[in-house]
Amino acid sequence: MLFLFIIVPLLLAGLLPLLGKLSKRFLPDLLASAAMLFLLVLSVVSAKPLIAGGGIIQQAFWFGAPLNIRLLLDGFSLFMLFTISLVSFAVTLYSINYMDHYGAKANYYALLLVMIAGMNGLVLSSDLFNIYIFLEMAAIASYALVAFGRGHEELEASFKYLMLSAVASAFILLSIAVIFGMTGGVSFGTVAQGLKTLNVKYVVGVCSGLFLAGFGLKAALVPFHSWLPDAHPSAPAPISAMLSAVLIKVSGVYAMTRIFLNVFGLTPALTTVLTVMGVVSIFVGALAALGQNDIKRMLAYSSISQIGYVVLGLGIGTPLGIIGGLFHLFNHALFKSLLFLNAGAVEQSTGTRALDKMGGLAKVMPLTATTSAVASLSIAGVPPLNGFWSKLLIIIALVQAKMHVLAVLAVLGSVITLWYYLVLQRYAFFGKLNEAWQGVREAPFWMSASMVLLALLCVVTGLVFPFAIHSWLQPAADVLGQGIGVALNFIGF
Amino acid sequence: MNPQNLLIPILLPLLLALFSFLLPRGVKRLREVVSVLGAALFVYVAVAFFGQKETFFTLPWLGHGINFELRLYGFSQFILIALSGFTFLITLYSTVRMAGDPRIREYYGYLFLTSAMAAGAVLANNLVPLVFFWEGLLITLYALITIGGKASHRTAVKAFLIGGFCDFCMILGIAILWSQTGTLRMSDISVVPQGLTAVSFYLMMIGAIGKAGSMPFHTWIPDAAVDAPVAVMAFIPAALEKLLGIYMLARICLDLFQLEVNSAPSLVLMTVGALTIVLAVFMALIQKDLKKLLSYHAVSQVGYMMLGIGTAVPIGIAGGIFHMINHAMYKSGLFLAAGSVEQQAGTTELKKLGGLAKAMPLTALGFIVCAAAISGIWPLNGFVSKEMVFHGSYETGYTIFTIAAWLGAILTFASFLKAGHSVFFGPRGLETAAVKESKSPITIPILVLAGLCVLFGVYNSLPLKLFIQPILAGHAAPGEHIDFTAHALAVFNPIALISMGCLLLAFGLHLFGFKRGGNKAYLASEPIHRLPVLHTLYDWAEARVFDLYEQGIKFIQSLSKFLFRFVDRPIDAFYEKVVVGAGRACTGALKAAHNGLYANYLAWTVGGLVIIVWAIGALLR
Amino acid sequence: MHLFLLIGLVAFSIMAVLSRDLLKSAISLAVASIFLALVFFHLGAVYAGVFELSVVAGLITVLFITAIALTRNDGEVAESKRHRIVFPLFFLALAVLDILVMRKLLGQIPAIQGAGSGTFSQVLWNQRTFDLVGQVGAIFAGVLAVLALFRHDSPKGDSHE
Repeated sequence: MLFLFIIVPLLLAGLLPLLGKLSKRFLPDLLASAAMLFLLVLSVVSAKPLIAGGGIIQQAFWFGAPLNIRLLLDGFSLFMLFTISLVSFAVTLYSINYMDHYGAKANYYALLLVMIAGMNGLVLSSDLFNIYIFLEMAAIASYALVAFGRGHEELEASFKYLMLSAVASAFILLSIAVIFGMTGGVSFGTVAQGLKTLNVKYVVGVCSGLFLAGFGLKAALVPFHSWLPDAHPSAPAPISAMLSAVLIKVSGVYAMTRIFLNVFGLTPALTTVLTVMGVVSIFVGALAALGQNDIKRMLAYSSISQIGYVVLGLGIGTPLGIIGGLFHLFNHALFKSLLFLNAGAVEQSTGTRALDKMGGLAKVMPLTATTSAVASLSIAGVPPLNGFWSKLLIIIALVQAKMHVLAVLAVLGSVITLWYYLVLQRYAFFGKLNEAWQGVREAPFWMSASMVLLALLCVVTGLVFPFAIHSWLQPAADVLGQGIGVALNFIGF
Repeated sequence: MNPQNLLIPILLPLLLALFSFLLPRGVKRLREVVSVLGAALFVYVAVAFFGQKETFFTLPWLGHGINFELRLYGFSQFILIALSGFTFLITLYSTVRMAGDPRIREYYGYLFLTSAMAAGAVLANNLVPLVFFWEGLLITLYALITIGGKASHRTAVKAFLIGGFCDFCMILGIAILWSQTGTLRMSDISVVPQGLTAVSFYLMMIGAIGKAGSMPFHTWIPDAAVDAPVAVMAFIPAALEKLLGIYMLARICLDLFQLEVNSAPSLVLMTVGALTIVLAVFMALIQKDLKKLLSYHAVSQVGYMMLGIGTAVPIGIAGGIFHMINHAMYKSGLFLAAGSVEQQAGTTELKKLGGLAKAMPLTALGFIVCAAAISGIWPLNGFVSKEMVFHGSYETGYTIFTIAAWLGAILTFASFLKAGHSVFFGPRGLETAAVKESKSPITIPILVLAGLCVLFGVYNSLPLKLFIQPILAGHAAPGEHIDFTAHALAVFNPIALISMGCLLLAFGLHLFGFKRGGNKAYLASEPIHRLPVLHTLYDWAEARVFDLYEQGIKFIQSLSKFLFRFVDRPIDAFYEKVVVGAGRACTGALKAAHNGLYANYLAWTVGGLVIIVWAIGALLR
Repeated sequence: MHLFLLIGLVAFSIMAVLSRDLLKSAISLAVASIFLALVFFHLGAVYAGVFELSVVAGLITVLFITAIALTRNDGEVAESKRHRIVFPLFFLALAVLDILVMRKLLGQIPAIQGAGSGTFSQVLWNQRTFDLVGQVGAIFAGVLAVLALFRHDSPKGDSHE
């Protein structure tokens, strides 16, 4: 059953280019949206009851014969699956209107589906090499999607992204090779068991460093973030949303967290490095965002800053810190995708991304302006929206872990965030309407619907966050809290 | 009472806010009707709550001691009534004053959201929900100020930054308090401010007095007076923020911390209070615009409340709290009267106004009663509460604070004589020839507030016994006298006589100054505000007549200018220049570093790897 | 021989990194990965070399070189239809070559040590099925990328054209 998460998007991606010959728009739109909805429902309705009693490993079957494919599903991977499905559903709805002027919609959806299949596969993997392979699969699809507009800027950004990703792949592969050499296996269980018996803490430290650099590149942590401010703004808006909201988290944060917490086990040294990197990312990202005039570039830097919060929360390693980090991951997926979709709506209507050329757009694009205000307030951590709670949890966790300096810095970072989002709102939406945009219209139906959906989710998540924490986050955090016990449990399979 | 009922004062305004947000702009009558009726219901709820037994409501929230806890008891019942009453009056007033505003939907929405947040802050019994509601007020304040129009955005940001700073201090204070006491339940906390808890006290004090608009956190209020809608001014800085800020200050001084008479925290609070009284009233005196003058008084009066609570003497605390509620009444009344004048005459500049008493008798009556109350004229409420503060500060033994308070009283009365005189009396201004009285939804709130000022003065035992004494009941030392009604209106004691003398002095000053100005150029209103100032110095510095006259003016002027330039503006500049400048500098450096060169980025990556591996290695050792 | 290959690899990698011209950079990358593939062959890791050659040097790099070349001259897309024929031909040839070589190689290579007996292809199928799905997906993504970036319709409303 779990294999459906990978094979459905992959098969549909194979079919779409052919179907695209029959119907340029209608069929691809319909099928892609239906597939995303299916995955979303699947993750909520079918997958959630499976893990009621803890994590499971499921074997895939091929016409009744067992295949050598073992998929790992526990609270953490389910949480990620749900996040991926939710954002990709919203993004697909948005693409119905937005991608019309790019052409080749069927191909676009196919690439998007491959990327989602790659991310789902990564999340369900139970061994290091699988993670690497699916990382590459999602990454290759994303290179193409970044360059989808085919302008010079897009290609350059995509190429830079590819080049730095190659470096990341090299680091990750090297580390996997070293671990394989030491433990003779790559599955989580074998590696965890092997490392437990061997006394090789320095080698593990070097491997951790390599993983941190490799996955840090994917997650765009400072100082490995440099590709992101080019790649994310260049992509079409729904793809920017997808990359910032989900891809960097799945291929960076998820992989890193899974390996560090469940396979290697979190050491105080790693905690220190992770939290410091988190705080540095928060500040570099936020301060760089402050000076941007390109709205999508500002959002891209903001992603770096917010990923910093996620890593900071997870890096603390205490139960509350993990919950805060995961909650922020989910929230950031919601509001950052929303912000990129807003930016896309503005770009489509006005043809510019320069903040100083906008102004007063709230009057002509009320829905976009309102949803963007919700997302901005949320990301800046204004109560009672969701972003406030996750940041609060992280800060409380920091205080409990006696990291008072980091707690103060996290609060300060949040103030800077509020600052540049107020700047964004003021330039883009408030104030006097720029003469040039008198004739601008509100975004079309599906784009608006998708933005409203995400904005509502931001508000609702903020209001009912105790429910969100108990039903989705607690199981995920429990898995991470168990440390390497999770991996050791699966040795028998 | 059912504990869940405690949610009603929060949810009811919230529903009204939602209603207003969702109702399309075209529908007009319905919004006003529902708003007024809803606000009336809110008043009913608050009144129904009054006198109930202490009630707790707890909803599990985040765990770790962070629960959604509410508590209804004497003090919060009292503030709730005041809060709902003001919401009702302002709503009524807004039906006419804000009619036709393009952002009417947001206006009512944010207005009720403010009420909901304020109700939550008053009822909260856990520090985390308290912060939640407290921060929420910051947002609605920002939104409400921006409704004022184009120029208001700057002011709104300023209010937001200053408020944000104060709230940040408060959160820090709460964090320290939490780490020291181990609990977040407000009703469980009671510590003596020493060492770290003293730091926490000061930080939370900044949060509370910042909300109340004390010096040096007041600079946005005079700006907002010009930019924001006058109804917003009457509601938030004049009434609501004082209620909340002083409520919080009283909670801090009475419940969370045990403030002792003449301890260091008490003296700090009294000093800030006295400075606020004197400095702000000096600023108020030279204002030429009615709304600005009122807003500086709104700052100055906070000083009395802080001084009263800071004394830590029962009569002083009671006076401070009583002054808070009195101030909310007369200052809202004054702002609403100013709004009424502005709507009819088109301006609030004192120079252009004059002789409106005949044309606008009701507004004038309301203004005069409220002005008399703020000046502390017997037997109005302002007299009673100010007397109590004077007594309280006198009891501490630091007479200097009492003298500062008296000085404030003189200048307050003088400036209101000037304001009332130039708006409602004297010859009619040429530009305001065809002024009529405002409609009844505008005059009724003004008159109701004026009536309350009289009621609370003459029948002061009503509020004192009903509201104030229950608050102090648990805190005064056993056997200590907490019934203040006996000497509330007494005039034959040295302190009351001195206060009366101060008022006479102020009147004399005004009269003299008025004549002075008349001799020079009767129509020019400029000298009017200088003359009383001169007179202050003149009588104060022992009756030298004409030679000191010009000098006195210069001195007061330069003092005012000095205060403005070297106290008022630098505080302002700090917020605007230093904070913003530092951010820009960092951003510039980062921008320069991201130069788009792949080699550069690769170098960071490799460098980062090396540093990380080194760090892990070093930490493992 | 080793030294020569390594120097070549490093030199072209550095060129790829330092070159400001995208086209030169992409070509250098291709050449560098060919050198890397040669190193792999030389060290006996034949299948790794083939993967390197086919996926990195072949697919992705050619994709970029062509895409960049097409958008040079201020983003003016080359008018000639030649690329429509040339590229698919090139790609087809590469794919055929790839399949042939791989089939031959996979049958010959002994299995990875420690992973049980059997040929590489058996190991791949029996032990690493999930990886295979991923590999297929990755190659699939590459194919789709080619289809998407070399589509015929001109992007309208695109500010970069």
